[in-house]
Amino acid sequence: MFGFISQKLRFLHVLLNRERNKQDNHSPELTQATISRNLDQNLKLFKDILGTSNDIIIREFSFGRDRKINAALIFVDGLIEKTTVNQSIIKPLMYDSHLFSLDETNVSSNIDYICRAMLSVGEVQKTGSVEKIIDGCLYGDSVLLVNGAREALVISTKGWESRGITEPKTEAVVRGPREGFTETLRSNTSLLRRKIRNPDFTLEVIKVGKRTRTDVCIAYLKGVVNPRLVEEVKRRLKRIDTDAILESGYIEQFIEDAPFSPFSTIANSEKPDVVAAKILEGRVAILVDGTPMVLTVPMVFIESFQTAEDYYSRPYYATLIRLLRFLAFFITILAPAVYVALTTFHQELIPTNLLITMAAAKEGTPFPAAAEALGMGVIYEILREAGIRLPRPVGSAISIVGALVIGEAAVSAGLIGAPMVIVVAITSISSFVVPSQSDLTAILRVVMTIFAGFMGAFGIIILLLWVLIHLSALRSFGTPYLSPLAPLSFSDLKDVFVRSPWWVMLTRPRTIGWHDPQRQEFKLNPEPPPEKPEE
Amino acid sequence: MLEKGKISSSQLTFLIAGFTLGSSLILSPGLVAGHDAWLAVLAGLGSSLLIAFIYTTLAVKFPGKTLVQINDIIFGPYLGKLITIGYLWYFFHLASLVLRNFSDFFVGLIYPETPIIVFLIFITLTCASAVRNGIEVIARTSIILLFVTACATFLTTVLLVKDMEFTNLLPVLDLPLKQFIKASYAATTFPFGETVVFLMVIAFLENTKQAKPSVTLGLILAGILLVVASVRNISVLGVTEPIHTYDSYQAVRLINIGEILTRLEIIVVGNFLAMGFLKISVLYYGTVLGTAQLLNLRSYLPLVLPIGILMVILSILQFESTIENIHFAFDIYPYYVIPFQFGIPLFSLIVAVVRGLPKKAKEGSK
Amino acid sequence: MQKFRKNTVTIIFLLIVMLGITGCWNRRELDTLAFVSGLGIDKAREPGKLQLTAQIIKPGEIKAPEAGGGGMGGSKPYWNISQIGNTVFSTVRAMTLKSNRKLFFPHNEVIIFSQDIAREGVRKYIDFLIRDPEFRRLAWIVVAKDKASEVLETKTELAKLPARNIAELIKARSATSEVSAVNMQEFLTRLMSKTTAPIASLIEVSAKEKTAQLTGTAVFKDDKLVGFLNKTETRGLLWVINEIKSGIITVSCPDGKGKASLEIIQASSKIKPEIKDNDIHITVEVKAEGHLGSQMCLEDLTQIPAWNSLEKRQSEAIRSEVLAALKKARQLNADIFGFGEAVHKKYSRLWKDIEDQWDEFFPNIEVTVKVESKLRRSGLTVKPPRPE
Repeated sequence: MFGFISQKLRFLHVLLNRERNKQDNHSPELTQATISRNLDQNLKLFKDILGTSNDIIIREFSFGRDRKINAALIFVDGLIEKTTVNQSIIKPLMYDSHLFSLDETNVSSNIDYICRAMLSVGEVQKTGSVEKIIDGCLYGDSVLLVNGAREALVISTKGWESRGITEPKTEAVVRGPREGFTETLRSNTSLLRRKIRNPDFTLEVIKVGKRTRTDVCIAYLKGVVNPRLVEEVKRRLKRIDTDAILESGYIEQFIEDAPFSPFSTIANSEKPDVVAAKILEGRVAILVDGTPMVLTVPMVFIESFQTAEDYYSRPYYATLIRLLRFLAFFITILAPAVYVALTTFHQELIPTNLLITMAAAKEGTPFPAAAEALGMGVIYEILREAGIRLPRPVGSAISIVGALVIGEAAVSAGLIGAPMVIVVAITSISSFVVPSQSDLTAILRVVMTIFAGFMGAFGIIILLLWVLIHLSALRSFGTPYLSPLAPLSFSDLKDVFVRSPWWVMLTRPRTIGWHDPQRQEFKLNPEPPPEKPEE
Repeated sequence: MLEKGKISSSQLTFLIAGFTLGSSLILSPGLVAGHDAWLAVLAGLGSSLLIAFIYTTLAVKFPGKTLVQINDIIFGPYLGKLITIGYLWYFFHLASLVLRNFSDFFVGLIYPETPIIVFLIFITLTCASAVRNGIEVIARTSIILLFVTACATFLTTVLLVKDMEFTNLLPVLDLPLKQFIKASYAATTFPFGETVVFLMVIAFLENTKQAKPSVTLGLILAGILLVVASVRNISVLGVTEPIHTYDSYQAVRLINIGEILTRLEIIVVGNFLAMGFLKISVLYYGTVLGTAQLLNLRSYLPLVLPIGILMVILSILQFESTIENIHFAFDIYPYYVIPFQFGIPLFSLIVAVVRGLPKKAKEGSK
Repeated sequence: MQKFRKNTVTIIFLLIVMLGITGCWNRRELDTLAFVSGLGIDKAREPGKLQLTAQIIKPGEIKAPEAGGGGMGGSKPYWNISQIGNTVFSTVRAMTLKSNRKLFFPHNEVIIFSQDIAREGVRKYIDFLIRDPEFRRLAWIVVAKDKASEVLETKTELAKLPARNIAELIKARSATSEVSAVNMQEFLTRLMSKTTAPIASLIEVSAKEKTAQLTGTAVFKDDKLVGFLNKTETRGLLWVINEIKSGIITVSCPDGKGKASLEIIQASSKIKPEIKDNDIHITVEVKAEGHLGSQMCLEDLTQIPAWNSLEKRQSEAIRSEVLAALKKARQLNADIFGFGEAVHKKYSRLWKDIEDQWDEFFPNIEVTVKVESKLRRSGLTVKPPRPE
């Protein structure tokens, strides 16, 4: 049956491919085409390509001493900054070009002159390639076409309505920078550049997505990063041949190591400080235009338990909290399963008093414990999803319904036992402690509960072993997923279960950034100044 | 190469320690020695270090070669193959024995109404998935599992300090020398001598020269944990120790600290299973890899499932009852393993030295 | 794709297999189990048979608030189920004919032997209780002066279950140290020792109030009950085997005009065997510390001479308790102190000759009791409340 379905899928795939090729068949021409000397011809060409959308503005005008030079400015309304276009492009050309003393026939030097002397705009590019012109135009640049010139000027006038830099909703911190990435690639790279003021900090842009032509930017720190890692990231990004990239999640699914694993092998973050820290450890960041979620590779499992704040607060508390996070992780995947296993298989392991309480609560409830656990789990997930999607004012209604109906009424009506409600509550609270793995924990929890329902503790242990084997076999861009635990790297344990003080973290993580291992000098620990001898 | 993975020396250490702990955490070695079992374990550890020396010398002499290839080189293609088949049988049989022990443990103590086949199948499937992923993955899991087990062993020991009666260890060596030697010998063959299967694994060590220290360290690590467990069991259970089928389990059942820290046996059950998983996986891996090398296959993956199924079948068929199992373990097993654990390795080493192997030319012919 | 399909198929197959084959073999929901909290073993009227009484907890009733029930006449939170049979195991199984829920023993807290069954020997019953994985070794072993089933029917005021009540009485023994507390593991250790005699708590039901109370120690020889120690003798035994936690020693004041009560706060003991000229000699060293808890005489006991004399009296009282126990043990010829094991551990070579004749040795062993006791504090007051 599976064979049949996959055969069908493959067939469909081929079909789609063919159709897409048909639609795209003008694009290879476009990549090589250049513009001509004739302005009218050029305008016709661009009108053809850009179509009749009303946000595309083609402003034709003349300039020069006798206004003999015809030119046109093409831009997309809404993507450009109007003042720049008006004040720095059109105004100098139309007013100041009276003072031209140039040979009007030699237009190609003309365009150089305009570029050099007249446009008071920072970034101007001279190109004859139609593809580049179109790309620029669609990304907020203004294109200046001058009659008689073989090349056009692509003037950077990017400026569109965008969300300001605000505090990210997902990774709130008490201590530490509040800024978060935005949807604009340029402002995101600037946020990183501001943190790492180093010429080695490199940004490389690759365009991905046949139709969206999204800018995907690789950021890394030369000298720290392993060059082979950068090559590998680039190779995988170039492999992507798809229509559209709208979010970094698209990229993630195209380049991850284990696409069928429930564990994600690529980390993401919304906070520049987090991404900067990872780049400084020797990782590569992948920024995608249009989304604040930045990917970092390689990812190790332990990263899910590390937060930015760990590194800003003092080590004792950070360590304590980190251990608590491990505990919460195990609670959230194991609590319902352990409850089911204990109450249906291993009643002898429950302390007597607790057992009597639990048995009293169970008395008269109709469903087996495993069904209770699964049902409550499903209801909880529904409540959570509803709570996220609902408009704010209705949200409180959900919590009332959830708390009253599920918590109170179901118990007093004798549909489920009160201990089960407590277990589900603890589980759900714990699941928020390790948010980066929350989708994984939801799946694991269900599977665990099913196994526990059928085989008790044996099922749980077997499943844990399976997970462990799977985790040991996983790799993320060449780095074993469970490192530094397995394979064991003693020097890296300084940042796993404990968060050592900064002056102890002499080296970068071995498995990631061993290219330039040393992070700092020895003996940086603060100590009282040496006592001066009394004079 | 059938196996592309490489393991580091520390991974080998943990793997050996985990393997050695394996089933000996549930079935305490040296039981014949009564309350001197811990001494028998120590003696077993001592003599096994000598045997391990033979294994590692052999492995270091032929770097990158597994037992199958070493046999071929030393004894020639025909006799070598015959010996290899013997060894493969031993690994296979041992794996199914351990499998049976663990399944019996679960059926006997926790799931009396469930048929044993369920446990056999699930444990085998788990090990099979580890074997399919190669020695590297088994080695990686061993670190974490061993760490957890060591913690649990020490934790349960600490929680039992209150119930320990160290006078139960007295009088020291209160048994005829003959019996003590028998117990020590039994402890040597089970579990320490079973490390002979690592001749299949040491070949994948990153640096073969480190084989000796890491094997020794692994054995000592396991030995320490076993002695700790043994002392704990004897001092807690005292004279009642010998009547128990699973004495560690029984000892842990006695933990009771303020009526709160009590009924903790599930912790040890988890550990037992984890260690058993390691042991079966390594033996399973040795069997599968050896068979693939024997048959000159390009990959061992197709063998994993069939051998697993055979293992399950052998586990069911070999004993009708746990009584037969115990009889086999105590009265037959120590003699059954003589050729595999001591005879052939020692003989191989002697032949290799006498014939001046490995010769450079010989290596090319495989 | 290939791998994914394989994995998915395997996982789905496994889940189906699991659903199918594991089914519900060992699955027992909480409301299908009857938790046994106490087990009584009596002799049945028919010869050669035994009567088993299991006390089953009713979780619903135990948790329900008292006011909600039917007042005084409301149903009891437990149910005693009795069954007559040949062996413990078969009788336990036969009980399922009467109980709709499966009897579940891991939460059993006490095992009560009636006197007559204990006199016949308990080994044959113990075997099942240690072989079956459901029974835990931390259950208390108790001998009932009369019938075990009666003990499980006694009235309790604070505790809700008679069995729980007994277990709590045993746990609270340390306040007096006048009764012994022996769990299954300790009982088994003594039972399996070649020389040491097993002991168990002794319980009696008062005829009038129908309440249970602990009254001393039952002494076994091998596995047969041979006699009892009263409270004083029991404390004597506990001094020797280092089980004293606390307790009150009453001595007369140095002036002889009243009593003083001393509270034991710490005690330890050592058994030191010695073999000289083929004679076994055992020294029991007891160290104790106490408070002055109350005095009924008017004397100022905190004066040094009086204080010293009080300490001496304390030592003397302890000594007499130990000697009383020793006397009883000799009388019963039961090595309840574990002297034999002590000799074994120290003289393992010679032991082989002694081992078999220990019964002849034991009553005639020379035992020296050395007591060293201290009084540390006198409470909030230093003098009795009287006009100066």
